[in-house]
Amino acid sequence: MKKLIIVALVLALLVPAFGFAAGRGEAADGAIRIGMSVPGLQFPFFVTMREEAEAAAAELGATIVFADALNDAAKQASDIENFIAQGLDAILISPMTTDALVPVIEQAVAAGIPVATVDRQANTDRVLVHVGADNVEGGRAAARFIIEQLGGSGSVIQLEGTPGASAAIDRKAGFDEVMAGSGITVLTSQSAEFDRARGQTVMENLIQAYPNFDAVFGANDEMIIGAIEAMQGSGVNARDKVTIGFDATPDAFAYIQNGLLDATIDQFPGQQAGQALQILVDNIRTGARPAQSVIFISPLPVTSAP
Amino acid sequence: MKLDVKHILKTYGIFLAFLLICIILAILSPVFLRWNNILNVIRQSSIYGVMAVGMTFVILSGGIDLSVGSVLALSGIIAAGAATAGVGIFGIVALGLLVGVLCGLFNGLMITLGKITPFVITLGMMSIARGLTLIYSGGRPISGFEGAFRFIGGGFILGIPFPIVILAVTVLIGWLVLTQTRLGRYTYAIGGNEETVKLSGINSNFYKTMVYVISGLTSAMSALILTSRLNSGGPNVGQAYELDVIAAVVIGGTSLSGGRGSVWGTLVGALMISVINNGMNLLGINPFFQLVVKGVIIIGAVFLDRLRDQAN
Amino acid sequence: MEPVLRMQGISKSFPGVRALQNVDFELLPGEVHALVGENGAGKSTLMKILSGVYTPDEGDIQLKGTSVVNAGPKAMLDAGVSVIYQELNLVPHLSVAENVMLGREPRRAGGLIDWKAMRAEVKKLIAQFNLKLDPRTPVYRISPAYQQVVEIIKAISLRSDILVMDEPTASLTGNEVERLFEIIRQLRSQGVSIIYISHRLEELWEVADRVTVLRDGERITTKPLAELTVPDIVRNMVGRELTEQYPVTEIETRDEVLRVEGLTKAGVCSDVSFAVRGGEIVGFSGLVGAGRTEIMQIIFGYLKRDSGKIFIHGKEVDIRSTRDAVRNGIALIPEERKRQGLILGLSVFDNAALAVLDRNSTFGVINFKKLSDLIHRIVETIGVKTPSPRQLVKFLSGGNQQKVVLSKWFVRDCDIYIFDEPTRGIDVGAKVEIYRLMQSLAQRGAAVIMVSSELLEVLNMSDRIQVVYDGRIVKEFRRDEATEEGVMKYALGVAGSVA
Repeated sequence: MKKLIIVALVLALLVPAFGFAAGRGEAADGAIRIGMSVPGLQFPFFVTMREEAEAAAAELGATIVFADALNDAAKQASDIENFIAQGLDAILISPMTTDALVPVIEQAVAAGIPVATVDRQANTDRVLVHVGADNVEGGRAAARFIIEQLGGSGSVIQLEGTPGASAAIDRKAGFDEVMAGSGITVLTSQSAEFDRARGQTVMENLIQAYPNFDAVFGANDEMIIGAIEAMQGSGVNARDKVTIGFDATPDAFAYIQNGLLDATIDQFPGQQAGQALQILVDNIRTGARPAQSVIFISPLPVTSAP
Repeated sequence: MKLDVKHILKTYGIFLAFLLICIILAILSPVFLRWNNILNVIRQSSIYGVMAVGMTFVILSGGIDLSVGSVLALSGIIAAGAATAGVGIFGIVALGLLVGVLCGLFNGLMITLGKITPFVITLGMMSIARGLTLIYSGGRPISGFEGAFRFIGGGFILGIPFPIVILAVTVLIGWLVLTQTRLGRYTYAIGGNEETVKLSGINSNFYKTMVYVISGLTSAMSALILTSRLNSGGPNVGQAYELDVIAAVVIGGTSLSGGRGSVWGTLVGALMISVINNGMNLLGINPFFQLVVKGVIIIGAVFLDRLRDQAN
Repeated sequence: MEPVLRMQGISKSFPGVRALQNVDFELLPGEVHALVGENGAGKSTLMKILSGVYTPDEGDIQLKGTSVVNAGPKAMLDAGVSVIYQELNLVPHLSVAENVMLGREPRRAGGLIDWKAMRAEVKKLIAQFNLKLDPRTPVYRISPAYQQVVEIIKAISLRSDILVMDEPTASLTGNEVERLFEIIRQLRSQGVSIIYISHRLEELWEVADRVTVLRDGERITTKPLAELTVPDIVRNMVGRELTEQYPVTEIETRDEVLRVEGLTKAGVCSDVSFAVRGGEIVGFSGLVGAGRTEIMQIIFGYLKRDSGKIFIHGKEVDIRSTRDAVRNGIALIPEERKRQGLILGLSVFDNAALAVLDRNSTFGVINFKKLSDLIHRIVETIGVKTPSPRQLVKFLSGGNQQKVVLSKWFVRDCDIYIFDEPTRGIDVGAKVEIYRLMQSLAQRGAAVIMVSSELLEVLNMSDRIQVVYDGRIVKEFRRDEATEEGVMKYALGVAGSVA
């Protein structure tokens, strides 16, 4: 398995080079080639998105030319420029930041290449479509799940994401909004920077300060897993607490299977990418444009592996 | 004899500052001084603390190691891979430590034989180790360990969490090596004036390389603790750890230009960082402010150090 | 004649030390006034008060009749007082020209630096010294001797009328010293007053008019040099008779210990061959830059050689590193004490123990009990004046620092001791002690090599003298046939033309 991944990565690096050498004419055989660029494969969320996107593309009769931005907006911009130079048929991008990628996206559109954004939006109206999940709605869904599980009363600890990150702000906003109208007390809300190790230390500290809590919300799965490890290590049985994470990563499902984690909010990255790919391919084949230029998939709590 | 307040402040400044912070936290939060919380804080400091002992060697020798966070990730993911593949506990530990040692050896040899500055080499290693971690893991955490390996991060010996035992032993050995062995004395000497060391007939390149091997080794030790504690190895762990580790060493009074400092200071530095994080969690301080508080304390510590320098 | 400078009743204390007590000092226009005293006598403190770095506790300073106490360094510089410190104040990576003109660079329209004018100006100044020095060379690439010259040129270019020179000739040799004296005489004739600090007492008669001797923070005497002799000055400095400045002992020479054959390194030295016997002190004379230091560094394994063989006790040894050299019983007391001999931030103990840790440890663990007995004994024998072996070396005086370097190698008990400029910047009392220590090494059978730019020292201390010129040994003198003139001629490379 691991070897396969290595080979895939090497190929992902080489393919653009070959593509560049081959030039525009390649598309003439009818195969649709779509460039896909994500902020970073170190985030499991994008690993899942990529795998499902490749499966979806295969069904649509298209191939994916993949680029990893390595968490660097400048690298992502040059990746997109390479896509344009290779004359790909369409581009699927989850931009690093809302503004940094706008010039290259508009450049691609100007070159006649349709662009779709997934998960993260870019600050331009030139894209064919944006398919994403609403983080605020995801926060609300997590809050509703906890209220339901606790039967309307009790207390909860919130672990926020990296201070200042839009996903952290939105998820917290949705969560706080629904909690405010309920009978449940939010004991404290602390940042664990979307990081598993930080999630663990922060939770260890919070267990000391708030030994009587009923539920924990982690604004991503990494933090809630860290928090669960903290509970297990501190003699608190995570099975007795209501726990919910965010992102539906494979690790989260493993914890759900063990009964340690109750649920995770799924934003369906595969579905997001799949829908965007469908729209891109339709556009290439028939010139059709989607009815709406922004599509939100409702995030939902899932309590078992797919 | 007259009580020289100024002198005491200058000599024991960082210890006093640490005590002061503890006293303030004890007053503000009744939880802070509970036995469980104390164990908790020390256990949390063990990850930075163990690495910081290695970093103390590097900084004492006049160098810097920016690769510790990435080396931690690489050692951790390899250990995690071994653990899930059913390798025995000794195999896991040996593999994890070997990875750290090899990374350190590469750093050391490139710095001494390649004659390239530590900053550049370890910056490169920081990227290489992170990349290898991503390649090996495919970007995914490797999790779910059983039995003995979980003991490293989660076990207890006589009621003391095992990571604390590891930290204590590491600091003790670090102290003994620095004060009682040639390697230790040469480390100070190289940081003080490498040319003099060479002109005293000492193979300084060997000892300089060893210093980076030690740093790689302690990074790998922290990796084993962290991986075991988290029950997983992840491609993202240890990001920006080098900054907290260097901060712990500097707060502890080790001079960034080399030649002066001790592991005891480093231990206090690492505890200080944990105590601050713990205290801010206990008090529910706004996350935005936490960063500012940490920065102020780092600068304050270095400032104290300067005062001590001037007193001499 | 009205003095340009009058310092009256100057006193200054530091915590625990009375640095100066009621010192008077006068400087006449166009006078070269020598200021001498042992290290710690108060010379530096007095000069720092003059240059405005320190404020005196008591006393008055008058420059051309105006009181200037508390004026500060900037005001003193503007008033025409320039100090050339022994520790040079140059920026290593800037060129000679930039260093000389630092902060006063000639500008073209638009504020750009006028490089051409700058170089021309500095070239003119260099020409006064009769030196081959490109103003564009970065300062770190030139020898300490030339760096000193750059400092002097800089002060001269500031057109100061009071110049303080702190040991200006310490790193200069032969013709460089002579040129410096010419410059000093030239400046004097132009009415510039110079305060001249030096440990090389013999040279005072060549340049100075009067001398003031300080001892323990007090002025002992001020007299025209014509009325004094070297022993008079030494007596005033140390407060006792120094019976023998160069101690004489008869040492029996033994078998050959070190032999070097055909040592060659491109651009540094060629075909250097010599031998040293046990109990012998062999002096190496020559100009700065002649290659003496480099020859020693090659023997010590610090520089690589292109060819040549080294024999110890008649057996060829393969020396590729300093470690090899030390293991073969060679010790090097280097030229630049602070940069190459010591670790200033470590203690006397740590410095003295540096070269013997390998012999006093088992599997890398140091046997401190055995080691500290040894170190304490040697530090005491050598007479390092330190409150405790835990004292950091940076707080010791120059002479004591040198003794720490000696301790490091005495502890090791080597067969061959190479001293490179062992007494530079060290006061008279400590010099004699170092000479005695060198002799004690010879007495116990070691081969001793002394590289020195102080001719009198080489002539008086050596059994034989090797003169190095341009990377070669051009002449060997026996003690009884060596004269100052003779050695100098070969060192300057003019012996052939004279003979």
